[in-house]
Amino acid sequence: MSLAVRAENLSKTYTGEGAPVKVFSNLSFELPAGTFAAVMGPSGVGKSTLLHLIGGIDRPDEGRVEVFGEAIDELSPRERARFRNAKVGFVFQFHHLLPEFTAEENVAMPHRIAGVPEGAARRLAGELLARVGLADRRGHGARALSGGEQQRVAIARALARSPGLLLADEPTGNLDAAAAQTVFDLLRELHAERGMTTVLVTHNPELARRCDRLFTMTREGIAAAQGLSERG
Amino acid sequence: MRFETAVALRYLAASRRRAHVALIAAISIVGLAVGVAALIVSLALLSGFQDRIRRQMAERTAHLTVSPAKGTLLPDPETARRALESLPGVTAVVPILEGRGWISDVDGTAAYAVRFRNAAGAGNAEAPAPDDVRLARPLATRLHVDEGDLVRLTSSRTRLSPVGPIPVSAVLRVGAVRRSSALEKSAEVEVSEPVARTLTGVPAGAHSLEALLADPERAASAARDLSARLPAGHRVETWRERNAPLAFALRLEKVVIFVTVALVIVVAALNIVSNIALTVVEKKRDLGVFTSMGATPGALLRIYLTLGAVIGLVGTAAGVAIGVGIAAAADRFRLVPLPADVYMLSHVPFAIHPGEVAVIAAFAFATAVAAAILPARAASRLAPGEAIRLSR
Repeated sequence: MSLAVRAENLSKTYTGEGAPVKVFSNLSFELPAGTFAAVMGPSGVGKSTLLHLIGGIDRPDEGRVEVFGEAIDELSPRERARFRNAKVGFVFQFHHLLPEFTAEENVAMPHRIAGVPEGAARRLAGELLARVGLADRRGHGARALSGGEQQRVAIARALARSPGLLLADEPTGNLDAAAAQTVFDLLRELHAERGMTTVLVTHNPELARRCDRLFTMTREGIAAAQGLSERG
Repeated sequence: MRFETAVALRYLAASRRRAHVALIAAISIVGLAVGVAALIVSLALLSGFQDRIRRQMAERTAHLTVSPAKGTLLPDPETARRALESLPGVTAVVPILEGRGWISDVDGTAAYAVRFRNAAGAGNAEAPAPDDVRLARPLATRLHVDEGDLVRLTSSRTRLSPVGPIPVSAVLRVGAVRRSSALEKSAEVEVSEPVARTLTGVPAGAHSLEALLADPERAASAARDLSARLPAGHRVETWRERNAPLAFALRLEKVVIFVTVALVIVVAALNIVSNIALTVVEKKRDLGVFTSMGATPGALLRIYLTLGAVIGLVGTAAGVAIGVGIAAAADRFRLVPLPADVYMLSHVPFAIHPGEVAVIAAFAFATAVAAAILPARAASRLAPGEAIRLSR
């Protein structure tokens, strides 16, 4: 089976205000294409950072990331932007919908960024919103939607460009049990329909067990070489 | 509509919900509009006066002047005259004789130094009668004379007499008293050509030749043509060249006013910087989200440049409308009266030059966009992962 993601010896340290914070070092990770994988682990071990590195919105300090055989660290900023637009979809814990735009406009945004004309982008967005069960909410602003609806819009937006890789960072973490179940079921259905590779970061062991694979990310000391272990 | 434009417009429209951003945006737009309007009104006021000065310049100054390159008399006045008359667009050619002397009333109670010249020069409607003199109003007042009175004009030239050299003078009738021009360098009196020849002692030839053109704006090209046709020893000047110091002063005045009043626009632009910087900070998470969806750093830059451009466009358009409206109304309805006997004008004139309005609008718009560059660059350089991570 071909690999969707291959990460080798990744290291990442944040150097903002104050002392540098080492997130992980020498982290390696492989994921076969078509897998629905869950990543679990305590807060602060770098699960979100790992998704950002795999999705190309951040760069590792050291190491190499290949997605569908493409070394994304070697791409120019413009090429990385095109790569994200075409091949990766992100779902965040707090949905991160654009509050000035309606649900339909939010979902149409990746198309608009790709240069698709507004009318066509809205039509495609409408179809996707119908698929996630929100056809009647297309004209509503993000603030007018419930938490579960907001997250479903966010999923639709992540899938707008039919990416091969969906990276979901605790998409159910901010939802009640019923809404979390709905969102998870939707992710599973869409994953199966579209033949994507999905990486789901979650703190919910029950949901994690329902995934094809479960990875547990730990911090083994400050320079843990194998922070990630794989279970079949 | 491009994605960047759509986002920028939506941010601006939605800023109503964020009172502080809306307030700064409103201040930016109003500040820009006030600056543009102030600049348009200031320059229109200046242009109103300057246009009148330029008109006087064109009316009172010959459009082309041929003078000797050396000495005081033209080396070949006939050739020069024919060359002038052969130029297309020349409507009159007049030989000019001029000199210096003193003018006094016939009793000789007061004498004033003057320049005299024959008044058939370009710009004058008609030459005085042979024994008449035309005076400026201030000089007539000082001499206590009016139309019909006699004056004595004495040249600085002398002639030999049995008792030795004596000044050449003529008793002349005041044929007309004209308004004095702001452009006159010193007291000037105008006489007929025969009187000028007598006073200067030049029976033939001329000190210079002056020509009028149907279109004074063509003076420069006509001067080039004429220079090619004239023999050596002649110098050609246009009315603009003769008045170059004044024209330079007028231009300088306009530049100084522009630079001074344009500071209002620069201050307004600082508000645009703070408005966009504030939006960048508030929308930091959105920048990360746009990046995750595939927006390039260039696209993020363009969002905020467009925001600056929209603020600039609205402010500039409002300023142009207000400024042009005020200047046009002030001129049309004579809103600023002047004492006519002091200023020779009954009201303050305003002249709107479309070219100047275009320059002001372009400057204001460019300043607004330039003000957006700094925060827009900061937005485009934001680390997207950090923007998302910190905005949880």
